[in-house]
Amino acid sequence: MDWIKIWTFFFFLSLALFACLSIVVTIGGFFNIRSLFKDLSAARQKAEHMPAGDIQKKS
Amino acid sequence: MDIDFTSLGFETNFSALDWCIVIGYLIAIVSIGVYIRKYIASATDFMVAGRSLKTFLAIATMIGTELGLVTVMYSSQKGFTGGFAAFHIAFAAAIVTLFVGISGFIVVPLRRLKVMTIPEFYEVRFGRDIRILGGTILALSGILNMGMFLKAGSLFVTGVTGMTSEFHLKIVMTVLLCMVLLYTTLGGMVSVAILDYIQFVVLSFSLLFASVMSIRYLGWANIVDTVTREMGQSGFNPFDEKGFGWSYVLWMFFMGLVSCAVWQTAVIRACSAKSTSIVKRIYMLSSVGFLIRFLIPYFFGICALVFIANNQTLRGIFLSADGKANSDLSLTAMPFYMSQILPAGFIGIISAGMLAAFMSTHDSYLLCWSSVLTQDVVAPWFKKDLSSKARLLLTRIFIVAIGIFILVWGLWYPLEQDLWDYMAISGAIYSIGGFALLAFGLYWKRASRAGAYLALLTGFLALLGLSKVQQLCSPLLDPIKKHFEIEGDIPSAIIGLVVLATAIVLMIVGSLLLPDKRERATLMKLRSNLDGLD
Repeated sequence: MDWIKIWTFFFFLSLALFACLSIVVTIGGFFNIRSLFKDLSAARQKAEHMPAGDIQKKS
Repeated sequence: MDIDFTSLGFETNFSALDWCIVIGYLIAIVSIGVYIRKYIASATDFMVAGRSLKTFLAIATMIGTELGLVTVMYSSQKGFTGGFAAFHIAFAAAIVTLFVGISGFIVVPLRRLKVMTIPEFYEVRFGRDIRILGGTILALSGILNMGMFLKAGSLFVTGVTGMTSEFHLKIVMTVLLCMVLLYTTLGGMVSVAILDYIQFVVLSFSLLFASVMSIRYLGWANIVDTVTREMGQSGFNPFDEKGFGWSYVLWMFFMGLVSCAVWQTAVIRACSAKSTSIVKRIYMLSSVGFLIRFLIPYFFGICALVFIANNQTLRGIFLSADGKANSDLSLTAMPFYMSQILPAGFIGIISAGMLAAFMSTHDSYLLCWSSVLTQDVVAPWFKKDLSSKARLLLTRIFIVAIGIFILVWGLWYPLEQDLWDYMAISGAIYSIGGFALLAFGLYWKRASRAGAYLALLTGFLALLGLSKVQQLCSPLLDPIKKHFEIEGDIPSAIIGLVVLATAIVLMIVGSLLLPDKRERATLMKLRSNLDGLD
């Protein structure tokens, strides 16, 4: 078994895969953050309009 | 061990510009973390970001946490000492994470149960006392495991900046820890997730760039030739007994499974995901991240070896006469190599990314272990449920307490052993028992409390993997060594595998001999169906 060839192929393939993943996650993550803040703001506003007992139950 | 490389003609490329980049970057991320505080309304928001993390953000935060400076440090040390053969660890981690992603093994049922921590599952499945015992072992193991993080971080700072004063170093690390404590106590999981994202972006692109630069600087053929000359076949073949060997490869597959599906800091990401289908997607895509978090640091370690082995002065310092790496210095080889080949400006960016990764790992671990202590060790003692406010306060107190502990432990406690051994053994105290409880508790109806107790306590046997403990237990271990003709210490991989097998056997035997009176598996399934998503 030629381990040098295996690890060379494996290393460069992994680098290429990670480069693609980094680009996709960077772009997708940005939109996820926007949506996370929207969700948390909505939840916070909802909590502010709820009676105190209900908030505790929900937490 | 302190060597002034400047006097030997090896001046670091780390300049005033790089300091400005590092300080500016760190101030910016802490400010963002503190700003995010206004979005925290409940304990669930604080600990699992309101369970509203979507796929890409969850992947970024998972990789951001797992690709820490400590991982980079001990992995580069492995690359330095093991050569290309160390790549099998990255391969094992990726394969196992992909398997977890496709099958949903352990993580999907956990998410379905809506638990925040693994010991919370122990209570649902085995009872409250197992939760407290499991939580205590998990937190103890986890806090000890992160005890050396500051040490590894400080070695990185020393290596890259060429800093020689130990006092200045301690000040820098203390300031870094204070910054982490500030934004973690205020922002919780939301700030952790956002900052992990930023760190993921900076670190992933800078690591890729540094890899390309290393190949251009050293040349791929030169890298391969030098490893062949220095290590021979064992530098490439992981099954070669002169290097890693079969038992080590097998142990690494188990460690890969542990780090993605059993280790609380990774599992908390699954618990924070919006749905079980997102959990699966996160793991499938994160398999590339789990691969890279080891692979690139191994490569940097290999490059450091090539750089050092081809320079007579450095060779004399880092490598012994027979070409073996000096264990004291092998940890600093990678940062030293970085300081020599990366240009000013870029070295600041990569150092900022690394230090941010250092902080990112700290914030996640601090949040994780403090949550376990609050939810699983303290809260179960109260008859009435602790209020969300009380839990939040307690978690913040634990964050500060753990922070103080690791500062004292990491900076003032002398590490007299290999970092990887320390990390593996401290982690295995929990992970061996934890794996048995999770796998059997989730997939075997007859798993009982007695079996769970036995498996959890068996984890402590993993301490035998430490060479000092082996010396202490020599009257007990010597006959075994003699019987199997083992010279020196019994390899930690063999100890780990034997302890794992023992924990599994005891879990099965204990459950069959002492079954539970009440069928808890049915209760758990009911809860899973009521709360389940998808």
